[in-house]
Amino acid sequence: MRAILVKRNDPRSDDEKNNLQMKELRELADAAGYEVIAELTQTRHPDRRYHLGRGKVDELAQLVADLEPDKIIFHNPLTTMQVYNISEICRCETIDKFQLILEIFATRATTHRSKLQVELARLEYELPRAKAIVSLLKKEERPGFMGLGGYEDSYAQDIKNRISRIKSELETIQKDNESLREHRHSKGFSLITLAGYTNAGKSTLFNALVDEEVKSKNMLFTTLLPTTRSLNVQGRDVLVTDTVGFIENLPHWMVDAFKSTLDEIFLADVVLLVVDSSEPLEIISKKLLVCHETMWDQLSDVAIVTVFNKIDKITADELTEKMLALDYLAPNPVAVSAMTGFGFDNLKAQIHDQLPEWERINLSFPMSEKGMSLVAWIFDEGLVHNIRYGNDISIDFEARDKIINKAISLAAEIS
Amino acid sequence: MFDIIAVDISGRHKTAEGYLMVCAAIAASVTADHVEKVNQIAIRSFRNKSAPSVQDVVKMIEDTVSELKSEATIVTEAGDMYNKPQWLINSMFSQNFKYQESLSERRCIEIAHHVSFSSRKLLLKERDIQQ
Repeated sequence: MRAILVKRNDPRSDDEKNNLQMKELRELADAAGYEVIAELTQTRHPDRRYHLGRGKVDELAQLVADLEPDKIIFHNPLTTMQVYNISEICRCETIDKFQLILEIFATRATTHRSKLQVELARLEYELPRAKAIVSLLKKEERPGFMGLGGYEDSYAQDIKNRISRIKSELETIQKDNESLREHRHSKGFSLITLAGYTNAGKSTLFNALVDEEVKSKNMLFTTLLPTTRSLNVQGRDVLVTDTVGFIENLPHWMVDAFKSTLDEIFLADVVLLVVDSSEPLEIISKKLLVCHETMWDQLSDVAIVTVFNKIDKITADELTEKMLALDYLAPNPVAVSAMTGFGFDNLKAQIHDQLPEWERINLSFPMSEKGMSLVAWIFDEGLVHNIRYGNDISIDFEARDKIINKAISLAAEIS
Repeated sequence: MFDIIAVDISGRHKTAEGYLMVCAAIAASVTADHVEKVNQIAIRSFRNKSAPSVQDVVKMIEDTVSELKSEATIVTEAGDMYNKPQWLINSMFSQNFKYQESLSERRCIEIAHHVSFSSRKLLLKERDIQQ
């Protein structure tokens, strides 16, 4: 499929930022399977009817006539009237960035849940536009006196009904996930979540950390659903979750896939904020800013470790310079390369430091069948530093409060 | 750890007696994700007959910040400066200025907001002014 990309820049806006946004749009179009055949930009304030200037739209129409693309993709959000007017003049389907992202989600959605999520996001996007769309479509066949408005309302109502049906279905799935998370927490697992801008290398890092084969590609939005696997960090079992990446200017609350990602982040014990350190400094800082902004709303008391990924692509001097410059945006920085595995020990040490603290005690109890089963249980639940067998078993171990209290009472029962 | 001054202004809407605004400035030491220490807080109230312009806002902030010992970078929300570009606003201040970026800066501005909001409420109550 072929597409023309269009972007309107605000007057006096930053050129570099505009180029970056265009590059991102190109990557998004690529991820959705479009071949970009032309690009068009204009610097001006938005026009109410066409978004661009009338002359530029005519130029776009000429371009469409010459190149015959399948779609025109706008970087800027468009109103229904603008979409209608542009499509009428250019005779070509017109979409904006949000719809493009929805398209990517729709093509990649494989599970029942992600399909529902895509459908919900599409409906929520469509709802405020529904009335305008219907009134445009039925312009010709508008009935006479008192006939106005009938179609519009019923279509909007239909969408509302579908939204509430999907929401209730998703809620059930959400509840299952929540109880699963609580269950994991109560079992003593600490939860770690990978977060970061899209294409920062979260899935590659996840695969390398937990030795798993989650799909990872040099493409935006390869991951659409959170995946969880267990990992042993210096003797403690933790659960690592890979999530969907963030993106600039996206109403994250609108897409349920992002919402579930954000939930994972807010309930984690440690968040690994992954950064692609091979990119220029300004881009990294802008992407970090988007991450901070997205996480800001609900984040409380979660430890953050910033992972500077892809360091195999840059020199040590560049890395030091970037880490120093980004100090104010990057808590607890660690440099790793998910491709080569460099820096993983450091990363694990940093994760271990940030995990909720365990207490360490020394217990003694008589050697018996019950005593041995207690030892086995302690090995399962905690981290044993030292154990001595004699008439009594003396065990020096580290564990959560609950486990320690239970171990003490069990040991008291045996003796 | 860095030193910042987080600023927020409450009351930028019309009341029966014009605009009664309270500006709170918080000098704090922060890391990227945590506010480590609040060093000092300054609060000042301002009255205006008309809605404050960008220059008015800059003056209010400068006046309030001058009461602090710290000379760190002033941090505000972009909305407080009518979303004008950062370089433009920075050139209006005698001190360094920037918009909020990290989680800790946002948290600090949130504290400043609570301070200015509650002190304005107290002020209105004391003077018996209807909102």
